[in-house]
Amino acid sequence: MTEHSLWRFSRALHRAINDRHFEDIEALIDEDVEWALYGPIDMFPFLGARQGKDAVLEVIRQLGDNFQVRRFDRESIMLGVDSAASMLRYSLTALDSSKPISLRVAQFAQFKAGKLTSMRVLIDTFDLVEQALGRAIHLPKMTSVG
Amino acid sequence: MTVEMLNKQRVLHLLDAFARGDLEAALACCTEDVDFLTHAPIDVLPHMVPRHGKQQLRELWQTIWSRYSEVRYKARHIVAEADQVATYMHTYFKKRSNDRIVQFDMAVFYTFRGGLVAEIREIIDSYDLVQQVLEREIGPLIEGRQPD
Repeated sequence: MTEHSLWRFSRALHRAINDRHFEDIEALIDEDVEWALYGPIDMFPFLGARQGKDAVLEVIRQLGDNFQVRRFDRESIMLGVDSAASMLRYSLTALDSSKPISLRVAQFAQFKAGKLTSMRVLIDTFDLVEQALGRAIHLPKMTSVG
Repeated sequence: MTVEMLNKQRVLHLLDAFARGDLEAALACCTEDVDFLTHAPIDVLPHMVPRHGKQQLRELWQTIWSRYSEVRYKARHIVAEADQVATYMHTYFKKRSNDRIVQFDMAVFYTFRGGLVAEIREIIDSYDLVQQVLEREIGPLIEGRQPD
């Protein structure tokens, strides 16, 4: 039974972020890959949408510059023929402050011939910002909207 | 038809029912003990707390429909395996108060039991959602300034 592309990609991604080893991940990204990791780009410049392998590799480098992955657990995983969706719990360390950051992440990936062609990631970004700040953001209480 | 195809259709049926405001049809897709969990700041979105059971989910959905007059979804990605379905959606909610559109992406993971949805887990770009609900930037709040 052939290993699903997600597992190869996931191993290579974590190796790139934690060990600065990019050869494996380079081989697993399509030249025309679409990538979107939404969130406040003024606070986290590596968030946002990217097109193309070089732009995505640069994002992965920036992730490695800012975070170390301590642990991740897949809470849900669904594998299609050339697609995958998973919900993960990441435990990271912010390298500039050594702060621990815990994130819940949804990841939707599509592959073609074993290479990543699309990646969309959603994060509970409000929680991410509060953890990065190290304090709660005091919002006005709302009772009649939202 | 495979169980995965059937479960995808069931999710789309639930979403269609919810989007047209037919909450009872949407609830009929769920088990009696359906469990719902999302992640959002409850200061701004007090109804977005965990929900357990059909009645609590009904109350959540009624609250949403009391605040929004139109709900639309575009399911950009849908992946299924065995008793689980994951959707990546663009969503549009029109506010009743001023007709403004709140537009955000969300990931929803469904777990089925006996052909019904037993568990719903959501992840939302919550920072963006809060800004749209408040209709203001959060940045000034972070910096301790009064927003405009």
